[in-house]
Amino acid sequence: MKSNTISSFKKKVSLVFNFAIFNIQLRYKNSYLGIMWSALEPLLYFTVLYVVFTGIRGREDDFAIYLITGIMMFHIFTRGTSGGLASLTSHSGIIQSLRIKRDFFPIFTVTATVLLAFVDVGVFFALMPVFQFTPSITLILLPIPMILLFILVLGLSYLLSIVTVYIRDIQIIWPIFTHTLLFVSPIFWKTNEVQGILLSFQKINPLGQIIDLAHRLVIDGTIPPINDWIYTTLFVVGIFVVGYLVFRKLEERIVEEF
Amino acid sequence: MESIAIEVNNVTKFFKISKPKGISNLAKSISLKNKSFKVLDSISFTVNKGDVLGIIGTNGSGKTTLLRTIAGIYKPDIGSVKINGRLSPLLQIGTGFQKEMKAKENIMMNGMLLGMSKKEIENKVTAILKYAELERFSEMKLKHYSSGMRARLAFATAMQIEPEILLVDEILSVGDKNFKEKSYRTFTSFKEKQKTILYVTHNLENLSKLCNVGLLLDKGKQVMFGKIDEVIEKYNEIDPKET
Repeated sequence: MKSNTISSFKKKVSLVFNFAIFNIQLRYKNSYLGIMWSALEPLLYFTVLYVVFTGIRGREDDFAIYLITGIMMFHIFTRGTSGGLASLTSHSGIIQSLRIKRDFFPIFTVTATVLLAFVDVGVFFALMPVFQFTPSITLILLPIPMILLFILVLGLSYLLSIVTVYIRDIQIIWPIFTHTLLFVSPIFWKTNEVQGILLSFQKINPLGQIIDLAHRLVIDGTIPPINDWIYTTLFVVGIFVVGYLVFRKLEERIVEEF
Repeated sequence: MESIAIEVNNVTKFFKISKPKGISNLAKSISLKNKSFKVLDSISFTVNKGDVLGIIGTNGSGKTTLLRTIAGIYKPDIGSVKINGRLSPLLQIGTGFQKEMKAKENIMMNGMLLGMSKKEIENKVTAILKYAELERFSEMKLKHYSSGMRARLAFATAMQIEPEILLVDEILSVGDKNFKEKSYRTFTSFKEKQKTILYVTHNLENLSKLCNVGLLLDKGKQVMFGKIDEVIEKYNEIDPKET
């Protein structure tokens, strides 16, 4: 009996993994550069913002790496949540013709996001020697904000995917919302340079907080105080729990909505 | 108990009448309670292992909804469905396929979704393509397939997982004559292997040859469940134009 549950668990993991790979293949089908886009996207964001903001602010130490840290997180977030949002609606055919646990769809889509995140991280490390940046030892803690980011993306994918089935307007609003996050999160500005609304928004912006934690590990070489970790973690886990519960509540009747 | 394959117990299913969308309906759709109608009304029957059940009825009588409920795609609002054995649904042909991917990749995805491991399905890809007579098109994207080719691919894949219970919605009406005969033979061999088939169709001739029991639905209600010939006779009384 026990070996049976283990083998069925293995089967599930392999199913999720294989569908994540299919999902990645499908994402870049019909483009000439294919999977290279997953590295080019953050690089293009970076180039534009780097040129514009070194033009405004002048050259600053470590600004390039400060920028790419935020862009990496932002890009993983944007790609992950937009994929998660569409995970149910874009697979309506499968959902209508087979009996499958509904959360299979957001889960394999987020798995694809996690796999693709390795490309973003690769870009991040590749830029370090280019800008003669020597990371401090605190860099080894970077996986912690990364994991927080993935939990955030999964929670939002649960929430957005199921709500989108009922209210299709979400798929129009969400790209505008994520675009706004590029400006209101500490990506090209620093938290000690701003006041007022930007700083207060930071308190309710989990993505901004995760980016801030990463900045302190990567750029400042300090470990953020435990209170900051706890605040952000509770925030992210809260969003995950809400997303999961809403999903569970609404999942049963989605077939009738397609 | 062991001989029962499917037990449908008092199944009732409501469908919401879709709320109107658009800005002028926003306030209304929040305040209004959903209207609903009964698609299935207290359906109860049992299918034994080795039975071939033909489900008939006029358009909109709830046949497809019933199959989907048995397949577990819909959840009944009242009542329950008990399934005993590996089930493979063949409903809405080809909707589970990804148009942008090749036939081979689609077989892999479908097979895995139907519960096979990657290795198992990999070993069967060639046989599936051969059965579907699509070997030449294995590298072609599904969007370039005709609907008949898609149906053949779906049918071949579902057959290869060797289900104990097969749910079929109008499959024999797709494909050319040659393939129809082939799928008919496959059904017959299924029958000989004592597997259970639930079959929805309008083709009464096939029905009386294949099935031993029948279920007649009308406007979501169960009119008759019994021997196939008697059920067909009753159906002809309700809908005489069909013959």
